[in-house]
Amino acid sequence: MDERLDRAPCGYMTINSQGIISYVNQTFLDMGGYSRDDLMNHHIESIMSMANKFLFHTYFYPFIQLYGHVDEMYLTLKSSKGESIPVLLNGKSYEGNEAEKIECVFVKMTRRIDYEKEIRNAKREIEEAYRIKDEALEKLEALHRDVERKQEELMRLNAKLESLAVTDTLTGLKNRRYFIEKLDSHIDHFFLSKTPFSLLIMDIDHFKKVNDTYGHLTGDQVLREFARILEANSKESDTVARYGGEEFIILLPEMNEMQSKQAAERLRKIVEEAPWSSCPVTISVGAATFTEHDTNISILAKADEALYTSKSNGRNRVTHSADLDGSS
Amino acid sequence: MENILVRNNVKVFGQGEKTIVFGHGFGCDQNMWRFVAPQFEKEYRVVLFDYVGSGKSDLTAYSYERYGTIEGYVKDLLEVMEALNAGKVIFVGHSISSMIGMMASIQRPEYFECLIMVGPSPRYLNDESGYYGGFEREDVEELLDMMEMNFVGWASYLAPLALNNPDRPLLTKELETSFCSTDPAVTRKFAEVTFFSDHREDLAKAETPSLILQCSEDSIVPVGVGKYLESHLKNSTFRLMEAKGHYPHLSHPEETVRLIKEYLSSFKEDYVD
Repeated sequence: MDERLDRAPCGYMTINSQGIISYVNQTFLDMGGYSRDDLMNHHIESIMSMANKFLFHTYFYPFIQLYGHVDEMYLTLKSSKGESIPVLLNGKSYEGNEAEKIECVFVKMTRRIDYEKEIRNAKREIEEAYRIKDEALEKLEALHRDVERKQEELMRLNAKLESLAVTDTLTGLKNRRYFIEKLDSHIDHFFLSKTPFSLLIMDIDHFKKVNDTYGHLTGDQVLREFARILEANSKESDTVARYGGEEFIILLPEMNEMQSKQAAERLRKIVEEAPWSSCPVTISVGAATFTEHDTNISILAKADEALYTSKSNGRNRVTHSADLDGSS
Repeated sequence: MENILVRNNVKVFGQGEKTIVFGHGFGCDQNMWRFVAPQFEKEYRVVLFDYVGSGKSDLTAYSYERYGTIEGYVKDLLEVMEALNAGKVIFVGHSISSMIGMMASIQRPEYFECLIMVGPSPRYLNDESGYYGGFEREDVEELLDMMEMNFVGWASYLAPLALNNPDRPLLTKELETSFCSTDPAVTRKFAEVTFFSDHREDLAKAETPSLILQCSEDSIVPVGVGKYLESHLKNSTFRLMEAKGHYPHLSHPEETVRLIKEYLSSFKEDYVD
């Protein structure tokens, strides 16, 4: 039996509870290139590096003492030539004749530990790859948030620009361009539904005189006040715009000739009676109602002609193009 | 309060008025005191606990920020004592725990009657000034590597994945007879905190009386380190044990208990005077 143990295919050793070697088999000696005298009665730590001693102290002794055995502990031992020999150690304590003994079996694991280290390195690489991926993702998300924010900013600016493009800066009313677009869409609507609509062109009487007498700042103030009056006295569906200079225009959906005349007269009267801050102001109005023979140009021309008539008839009055002699 | 007792797996037993607290060292847990602690239960209230990250502590309480330095462990000790309302205690610390106890006593001298240091070291690494701590930096690197290869799940445990899945169930398998039951990354960090710490500068700040128990053939902490501590620690008593190794409380519990009790009785007489 002893002969077979001596040549068993694993290193075998008996130590006492202090770690002194009392038996070692030939396989173990061959593994480390030691002679029996090198190891017998020596401390097992004499063939360990500092790190292995610590590991042995921290785990092997305490666990043997607490639980009686240690399984599959990985250690490296020093060979007689100073090389490292990776081994797997199983230990078990038993009560010998006089004192506690610990039986130890060592299996060399040179190739196995290389594999395991390869796996560990692969694991580290994967961890690193995950970390990099998470970082990249984080950056990408930040970038995405940035793009979204800029997009929103852009849309906001666009909306602002669009509104600026159709707004008259002095009065805050819509400008001529916007009005023409609205007029065109009402004309389209008219030919689909035959719903009537009218428009009024209004001109401030003697505006040049206001400018000349009180200055341009007052002139501008009058324009703004007139714009506020128009806004305050028009419906949501009406389109009020500054047509140019002291000319304003208002599109009245669903209004026929008579209704448009009433609306125009009402506005004329409101302006006349309004509490103007600098000087009394009146307006002349030219009204026109769209007919199926009209175009966007013809209806504006008709309203203009009616306005001209109001002016030449003494101002501060309303004329509808349908009432003009020439039109019929 | 309650959750600190759970967090640190605190166990209290014994009938004394005075409290004796045992702190385990690196790589182990309160089980290491099983041959020593019961010897004190007739005269003392005995307190055992696991530092967060060790033994059966609550691993979810672990953070690299708090436990990246010894300060986190010092907090654990102080919080356990506060949760127990322990009063002035006798603290027994093994290895790094001796330094944890000492640092705690510097912060809160009123909590400590005395410190029993088993195999203490203020600095494990050798240094150019001629200080011989026993370890070269390469030894520690090798040790961390060896430890990693010994842990259960070193290959399957993907740290970033675990971080991404906080619900990942902790190792539930009972691994009582294995030293690999704790989280390898946490244990590795504790090893770094232990081996790269340097408390030589702190020794002068400690006032609490202390007993230094040094093993005669401690292959981890050279005898010179115990002597170094004796000469730099005020009110310290140095005892060289017959015990060999670094775990006298496991390998030579009788001697360990005897020396602690001798010190405590002499200390008591001094104290009464």
